[in-house]
Formats: sequence, structure tokens, C-alpha cells
Amino acid sequence: MRALNWQWPTRNGLPLPGTMISIVVAVTALGLTASVAEISLPRLIGSLGKMTVFIAQMFQGFNWDYLPQMLAKMLETLEMTVLATAIAVVISLPLGVLAAKNASPHPIVYRLTRDVLSLMRALPELVWALVFVSAVGLGPLPGVMALAFVTVGFMAKFFAESIEVVDSKAVEGVHAHGASWVQVRYFAMLPQALPDLVGTLMYILDHNLRAATILGLVGAGGIGYDMVMSMRLFQYDRLILIGLGIYVVVTLLDRLSDTLRSRLLHGKRV
Amino acid sequence: MKSPIPPRPRNLLPVWLAAILAVLWLIVRDLEISFETLAYGASDLVEYFGRYRHFDFSELSRYLELMGVTLATALWGTALAFVIAFILAPFAARNMTPSPIAYRIAREILNFLRAIPDLLMGLIFVAALGLGPLPGALALGLHTAGFLGKFFAESFERIDRGICEGVASTGASFAQVVMYAGWPSILREATGYTLFMLDRNVRMGAVLGLVGAGGIGLALQDTLRLFNYPQAATLILVILVTILILDYGTAWLRAKLN
Amino acid sequence: MSSISIQSVSKRFPNGFEALKHIDVDIASGSFTVILGPSGAGKSTLLRMMNGLETPSTGAIVIDGERICRNKLRSIRSRVSMVFQQFNLVDRLSVMTNVLTGRLSQRSWFGSVLYLFRREDMDIAQQALQRVGLIDKAWNRADKLSGGQQQRVGIARALAQNPKVILADEPVASLDPVASGEIMTLLREICERDNITVVVNLHQVELARRFADRIIGMNDGRLVFDGTPEQLTSSALHTIYRREGTTHESVELAVAYA
Repeated sequence: MRALNWQWPTRNGLPLPGTMISIVVAVTALGLTASVAEISLPRLIGSLGKMTVFIAQMFQGFNWDYLPQMLAKMLETLEMTVLATAIAVVISLPLGVLAAKNASPHPIVYRLTRDVLSLMRALPELVWALVFVSAVGLGPLPGVMALAFVTVGFMAKFFAESIEVVDSKAVEGVHAHGASWVQVRYFAMLPQALPDLVGTLMYILDHNLRAATILGLVGAGGIGYDMVMSMRLFQYDRLILIGLGIYVVVTLLDRLSDTLRSRLLHGKRV
Repeated sequence: MKSPIPPRPRNLLPVWLAAILAVLWLIVRDLEISFETLAYGASDLVEYFGRYRHFDFSELSRYLELMGVTLATALWGTALAFVIAFILAPFAARNMTPSPIAYRIAREILNFLRAIPDLLMGLIFVAALGLGPLPGALALGLHTAGFLGKFFAESFERIDRGICEGVASTGASFAQVVMYAGWPSILREATGYTLFMLDRNVRMGAVLGLVGAGGIGLALQDTLRLFNYPQAATLILVILVTILILDYGTAWLRAKLN
Repeated sequence: MSSISIQSVSKRFPNGFEALKHIDVDIASGSFTVILGPSGAGKSTLLRMMNGLETPSTGAIVIDGERICRNKLRSIRSRVSMVFQQFNLVDRLSVMTNVLTGRLSQRSWFGSVLYLFRREDMDIAQQALQRVGLIDKAWNRADKLSGGQQQRVGIARALAQNPKVILADEPVASLDPVASGEIMTLLREICERDNITVVVNLHQVELARRFADRIIGMNDGRLVFDGTPEQLTSSALHTIYRREGTTHESVELAVAYA
């Protein structure tokens, strides 16, 4: 680089050590794992033809006869999302209190709740759906159970974090007036954390809808089953409808959640 | 004289609560979920989970290998997502974008990538590329590029307007403003988001195997189909431990960055 | 020869506010001009237009015989540098890199997006830093400096562009009186030694009197005074700082504190 009359704006003309180390680590990791992940550019380029054919097939037409069933399945997906989120809220509120440092009754309870929550969210919904399907059979029920289970892991953690940043002065104020343990948490902490909680709720609803669309893959209800079947049976005229349906619903919720969250964060603007 | 109290605002909470409960009841009816059977089946459920008591470590090395494939897939997926987001995010940030049209296009691409579930993308890429981790990495990468790009763009939009103007006022081009005012200002946030996505991609990578996109997911489904609970328990344990290690690792890295 | 020529410029913002109303003014090459006026008079908008950060609704701005328009923006900005009230440095970059951003307009995107600079650019940046007396802070992070020092870096960045014109938008409004005096002295010295045209927005009458060759007074988007510091009498100040609905006494008071 010196010979080319180029240099970096540092004391010695070389990139900063932190930057260099990060880049070297990232490139080495990618290089070492390339063969494991079977990354191959020729294969990728070779498949371009197939990909175009595939996409062309998808856009050949719509099977309108299938539309009512698609809508029904989409509704089922939405219903699973809402139900699972609602169940998770009910369970997460008390768990969130237990997992918040400033609200938990005892440090051991706090630690224990935190660990249980991190175990609950460790595995993706689909793994739990597999397990619950083999436990209670096919249908939306195992899907709702799996969604609710993982959601509690996330939601209670987020709730706990919102409670932890609550202003301690108001809490002391209520406490000073002789409020009981539960009253302090209900009247002083929850109202303050509420805007945060609603923001979290929107985020999770959004996440759960995406998760619910694929649960059907393992027979846990929702539109995922139809998606996989039409793929396996090469019914592209159905697949495109399903893809569009998911696209529309997910995008709508995405926008709604964005609007609501920015309104909560920045007041009534937007 | 007593001054009149302004009329108490009507408390609509009970109404909302009742409405929500009604909707939930309708949903339960529509989904034909019977909580009675669930309650009766609670003991069955306990018995069922009891089957996961035992572990079968005879094929542990194969499981670890599969987990390794999942990790590699997630890593490459995240790298791909980062590259795409790196390029698209400046166009999708209102304060950086060179033109409103470029902004709209970049936003719509990111929305599109976010809206298509990675499992559906996985299915499509498996059909085009054949089985293996490569289609999985592509699916993860494209889907999470939508998220990363959106997060990066939002970070860009939070940069102080003056900083961008300061660099732009020197006559710097779009690419130069992005590299000198944009990325240095959001580098830390962006790293945090990327680590978060790596985390998410490992979880998701663990299930992509279900559609033939390599990794540990397919093995889990196979063992469950054969009712081989000890092996399923071992597989779940492997996934769980890996994710927890990764969780703590990325949490540590994020804490170090701050 | 006039360096900057503002030709019947008006500016109406999208919200309907009319910031500038038919401004016509020529600024001589190598002069030190101060624009005075109450906040909201439009002086910031006018200055930002000379760098292309705002575009006039009607009229034109000509720099060295070249009219500012979108496709010439980069070449004009490379000759017209800008110093800001809030310094507008990139916090996370070193002082040296911040100064080097002044060289970006001369370089293609290829090397500069990789943060690679030529030897001669480094030399120019080093000289600029020496000029403002901050060479020993070259490798510090920009946000670790005091306000006065940050503004010096801002001036060094402007100098590194080898500009014909330096525009300074309230450069001392965020600084204490001592630092303010130093910054103004530095700007004056740059004007005299390098024969660079300097235009400064100020709201301190006293500083304007001390440093300017020529003072332009603005009120409510109009030019209301144009003359030497000697011609800036108290009645002229009243015209500049007059507001609708204010009494003679309150203007007196405002002028006393201005």
C-alpha cells in the first residue's frame, strides 16, 4: 500500500488493530466453515436456470378455487397467533415481576426465573411444535402450545427488563404510604412499564405471526401445512396464493406494529 | 364553596377486557381447542415428557457434526444477510438515500425479504439447488437481510442530522457520506444487531433441516417419527446446550462492545 | 471581483414559511462578511444555500461565476467549505480522519470507502491541523475534545478542502467568550493570509464590529442593512433587531444584550 502511495489515517498507516482482528476472525471463520456449509459459487450459478424456471412456474397462474381454503387457513394462523400471545401475556406478567431485579421477592427466585425463561426461549417454536404434536396429536392445539411456551420465555424477559428501568421514586412513594407487596407492583411499577409492555406486545405479535405461518410444516395447524404440501405436489398455482396471503398479512402487521411502536415512543406523532 | 369536580373520564378498561375475552373465546371455539381434554390429558402429558428421561449418546458424534453444519449454515446466512443489508440499508434510510425512488425500492425489497418466511425460501431453494446446507444458508441470509437492513436503516435515521451535513458539505459523494458519517456512527449498534441475528439464525437453522436444508432439524423429526425418545432427548440436549453457549457468548460480546 | 453573487433569492419551506424574500447581494472575493440578525431572520438558510444544503425556491446563487445546481453540487462544495454551530464532526472517528473528510471531494469513491488516503492528502490534513494548533490531538477521538477544540477541527476540515470560500454558521454560539474570540481570530487570520472569502453568521454585535469588513443585517427574510462596522449605528441595530409588536424600549434592551 505504501508503494501505491495509499495509507490509512492512523499513527502507523495501518488499519486499527481492533478492526484488523475483527476482519481476520470473521474471514477465517467463514473460510473454515465454507466447506461444511457446502458454499459453492458454481453450484449457485448453475442453479440460476432452475431458479428462473421455478419462479416462472410460480407465476403461471392462480388457483382461485383454492382461495376460500387459503383464507380459512390464514385466519386459523392469525387465530393461533392471537390466542398464543394472549396466553403468554397472562403467564408472563407474574413471571416478569419475579424476573425483575427490583421487583423479585428474593434474589434466588430472580435467578431461577431468569434461567427457566432462558431455557424456554432457547429452542425455536418448531422444535416444541414437533414435541407437542407427538404429545397431543395434530392440529392447532400443539401449535398454540409451542408458540405460547416460547413466547413466555421472550415476553417475561422483556417485561422484566421494562420493570427494571422503572423510576424508583414513584415506587418509594407508593411504598411509603403503606402499600402491600402486590400493591406496590400493581400500582407503582406496572403503570410505568405499560408503554414498554405494549411495544413489546406488538413486536411479539409480529414475531409470532411469522412463526405461526410455518408451524403447519410439522402438523401443528395454520397455513404452513398447505404451503409444504403444495410445494411437494408441485401445485404452484396454490403456492403463489399462499405466498401472497402470507406476504399481505405479515406486511400489514409489520406496518401496524411499526406505527404503533413509534407512536408509543415519540408520542402522538407519525 | 365546593368547586365541582370535572366529570370522571369513563373507564373503558372493562369493556376492552370483555371484548378481548369474547374474541379469545370465539378463537378457541373456532380452533376446536378443548381445554377439558387438555386438563384430563395433563397426566398423560407428564407421562409423555417422562419418556425423554433417558438419553442415548451412541450417535452423539453424528449429532455434533449435524450441529456443526447448522452452525456453519447460520454463520454463512448471517454473513450474506450482513452484506445485503450493508448495501441496501443506506438507500433505505431517509436521511442517507440519494433519491426518494431509491428509498422506496430499497424499503420494498427489505419488506419483501422480511415477509417471506425463511422456511418457504428454504423450500424453494432446495427445489432449485438440491438438498444440503447451501439452500439453508441462502434462505436464512435473504430473510434476515430484510430484518438487518431495516434495523440498520433505522439506526441511520437516528444519526444527528448535522453529522451527515458536516460530511456532505465538503462535497463528499453518497458512498463517502455513508462510509464516513453513516457507518462509524452506527457501528456498535449494527454489530449488536448482527450478533442478535446470528443467534436467531442458529435457532432457525436447527429447524431448517425439516425441509431438507441440512443440519440437525431433520434428524430430530426422524427420531420422533420412530418414537425413539432417548435419541430425541439427546438431540434436543445438543441443540439446547449449543444455543445456550452461543447465547452467553453473544451476550458477553455485546456487553464488551458497550 | 465578486466571489459570491446572490441573485433575487427567495425561499419558501414546504410548511409555507417564507424564510427569504428577494435577497440580492454580492460578496467580494477575499472579504470578511458578517451576517447579523435575530433568530429566525433567515441568515442560516441563506448561508446554507451558498453550500447547496438548501435550494432556493426562486433566484440563483453564483459562486465564482458558476451557478449552484444539483449536478454541479460536488464541485462547488469542494470550493465552498462550511463550519457549523454544533461542529458536526463524526464523533467516533479520529481528529485526523475528520479533517481528511475535507479531501473526499477530490477522491474517487474506491479508495476513500476503504479509508485509504494519499500521502499528499495526509500532508494537507496535517498542515490544516498545525494551522489550528491541534496537531498533538491528531489521533484522539473527535468527541473527546472540548467545544473550542472541536470547532478548531471543524475549521481544519474546512481548510483541508483548499476552499475559495468558508461559510461559518454561528460558529461561536456554543462556545464560551474566550474560545469565541480565538475562533473568530483564527477565521479572520485565514481570510487575510490565504485570501479566502469568509462569511460568518453571528448574533453577537460586538464580535461583528470587531472582526468584519462588512456587515449585512437581516430581519424577517429581508436585507435591512449593508455597510461597514462604522456605519452600524444604534439606529441601524434597531432596524435589524426590530420585531412586530415590540416597543422601542424592548428593542433597546435586546440590542444591549445582543
